[in-house]
Amino acid sequence: MQTTALALAVLGAALLLGGLLSGLDRRLTARLQSRQGPPFTQPFFDVIKLLAKERMVTNPWQAFSPLATLSAAACALLLFAWQGDLLVILFVHMAGGVFLVLGAMASPSPYSQIAGQRELWQMLCCETLLFVMAGALYLTTGSFRVSGAAALGEPLLYRLPLLFAAFLLALTVKMRKSPFDLAGCHHAHQELVRGVFTEYVGPHLGLLEIAHWLEVVLYLAICSLFWATGPWGMILLPLTAFLAVIVLDNVSARLTWRWMLGWGWGAAFVLSAVNLFWLKG
Amino acid sequence: MVFMIPVVLKNLFGRCATRPYPQSPRQLFAGSRGQLINDAGKCILCGTCARSCPSQCLTVSRKEGLWQYEPFACVFCGVCVEACPAGSLSQLGQWRPAVRERERVVLKVEVKSEKSGVRSEA
Amino acid sequence: MAGTILPFGPQHPVLPEPLHLNLQIEDEIVVSATPAFGYVHRGLEKLADIRDFRQMIQVVERVCGICSMIHALTYCQGLEELMGIEPTPRARFLRVIWSELHRLHSHLLWLGLFADAMGFESLFMQLWKVRERIMDINEATAGNRVILSVNVIGGVRRDLDSGQTAWILSELAEVEKGFSAMSRTILHDYTVQKRTRGKGALSRSQAMELGCVGPMLRASGVSQDMRLLGYAAYGELEFAPVVEQDGDCYARCRVRFAELGQSIGLIRQAIAKLPAGDTSVPVKGRPPAGEVVARAEQPRGECLYYIKANGGKFLDRLRIRTPTFANIPALTVMLPGIELADVPVVLLSIDPCISCTER
Ligand code: SF4
Ligand code: SF4
Repeated sequence: MQTTALALAVLGAALLLGGLLSGLDRRLTARLQSRQGPPFTQPFFDVIKLLAKERMVTNPWQAFSPLATLSAAACALLLFAWQGDLLVILFVHMAGGVFLVLGAMASPSPYSQIAGQRELWQMLCCETLLFVMAGALYLTTGSFRVSGAAALGEPLLYRLPLLFAAFLLALTVKMRKSPFDLAGCHHAHQELVRGVFTEYVGPHLGLLEIAHWLEVVLYLAICSLFWATGPWGMILLPLTAFLAVIVLDNVSARLTWRWMLGWGWGAAFVLSAVNLFWLKG
Repeated sequence: MVFMIPVVLKNLFGRCATRPYPQSPRQLFAGSRGQLINDAGKCILCGTCARSCPSQCLTVSRKEGLWQYEPFACVFCGVCVEACPAGSLSQLGQWRPAVRERERVVLKVEVKSEKSGVRSEA
Repeated sequence: MAGTILPFGPQHPVLPEPLHLNLQIEDEIVVSATPAFGYVHRGLEKLADIRDFRQMIQVVERVCGICSMIHALTYCQGLEELMGIEPTPRARFLRVIWSELHRLHSHLLWLGLFADAMGFESLFMQLWKVRERIMDINEATAGNRVILSVNVIGGVRRDLDSGQTAWILSELAEVEKGFSAMSRTILHDYTVQKRTRGKGALSRSQAMELGCVGPMLRASGVSQDMRLLGYAAYGELEFAPVVEQDGDCYARCRVRFAELGQSIGLIRQAIAKLPAGDTSVPVKGRPPAGEVVARAEQPRGECLYYIKANGGKFLDRLRIRTPTFANIPALTVMLPGIELADVPVVLLSIDPCISCTER
């Protein structure tokens, strides 16, 4: 009973944080572009409005997939809050991503189908990186558990600086920001319209938006592991990473998935490999 | 990428270029072609404006003493203003406010007298 | 994915106007592209039957929302030639000033849309912020932001006093500062180069054969510019067409970016040389029977007007060939073989103005 209440509290806090971060993102992006931007609470109003709209789907998968994506993101977050195994957290989170792709592929629209393929490429890049990170966590702390990072005594960043740089790339992909807003970006202004979200409307789109908030919070939580020695590090490091990604979004054009697969992933892979060898050596 | 960083940072700490529009509208420049009005006291119902108007949104009827104007068909080119021999047409320094219903301006003009009245019909 | 057909447009977020492209795609590579039109045809040429030759000035201004001034200019120059009227010297210089203001705001608009096509939103916002000053100049000097409506047969309807010209010069200095701050991003940024270099390249002979005009042709190494004809006051001003050799999207971007500076230079020259006198000559009567072809350089390239008059109030025929119409065939050559992600970039690189094309 108590656990359930606690879980709900954690999820509530994550929702609030995710929404506010999204509001901060929109506001800051607007200011960087010399615009005024919406109020910080705007994302909540947007999602409430979406949820209140008429339900419309082209097939049952489209109704099921957002729910599955959302629950996977929520589960992964809860596992993190309970200091679970990083590998399990990543698997659960990845399952959510698979459902996002399934939902996109379920509609016959070429826009969302092509975006679904791109999303798979993105997952390939991001998830492999994260698994390497989990491996690095094991090598440094001797355990896959999230709590290991806190028990280390010094910030993980000191041991894994290059991996952190690679992680920032993954964060950019996950936040759907330039140069990697390939499979769907925040404003439907790309060749694939809104990518994987193109064919969603109303409440289902609202659920996907909430899932996106939770995923960003999860990634920032993982980011906080890099400085898990005290609350300040755990807040400041993810916040800095978040702001850095937003600035990056505003100073670069969108690149292509072929570039991401070649140069982006290649660079991240080399960075991680060098870091791992250095760790062992 | 690096070249853009100073630009966006300057934006962040500078003033925004946008303004909350309906709350704080911008003043038009002097000489802007705004709302078209006819001074019924000066109009002599000659019909020059109606003949010159490219969008044909003016109708002048001497018999009924009416000057009629369709603001939603008007393109605010100001041709009629320049054509009017009596100088009774002018354009204000503000735009027509947004409205919910289609309007038509019907102006009763009595040539050589001061009486006039404006009536709007849906 | 083998043989997907992607219906690109007519409603698509990267397209400012309704153009439909049937893209056949394999593995995100375009195999073939078929453009289709007809979504914004308004029959403006036909209006010449029921609007007299003076009212047609306001009609042709509405052919294009971006280069309205130059449309009216081409039309008025055609009629002036037909009627044997010589506009006053001051009017000719004023026409140059407003034409170049139009080119400036059109190119800034295009650079912004181009940045948006490759997902560079902040550059887009920044360029449009700079453009806003030009729109202000338009509104303050001509009365409207976009459709200036300054041309009449025989001259212009508005004049600039010395206070206004001084203000224009100071605003232009700000505009120049604004876009120069972005020059390194536009010309040397890594991501921008990645997205534009080598994309949609047309060789010199291809560009000529496909009948490209304007910046498209100049980016492929052909020095063609209708302003060299010396219409309005261009004959008395110093300038040389901006030419690039590579013929790809990056070269087109360079051409248009360099033309921003060129336009500002032309405005400065025109203001410095602005002769005193009347802004228009009085015009009596109707155009005599006859036909005439008028040409002018629009921001997108050569614009051609064919006017046939019969001595009456209404024209017999008005035919408008806009620059985008000439540039669209190039799309069918440039699009096949490129990545889907580059379609918006290549498409935007011709600076498509669909309303213009369909009239
Ligand atoms: S407004 Fe002017 S042009 Fe029109 S009818 Fe009256 S006097 Fe004549
Ligand atoms: S401003 Fe132009 S369109 Fe409007 S009524 Fe006058 S002439 Fe007609």
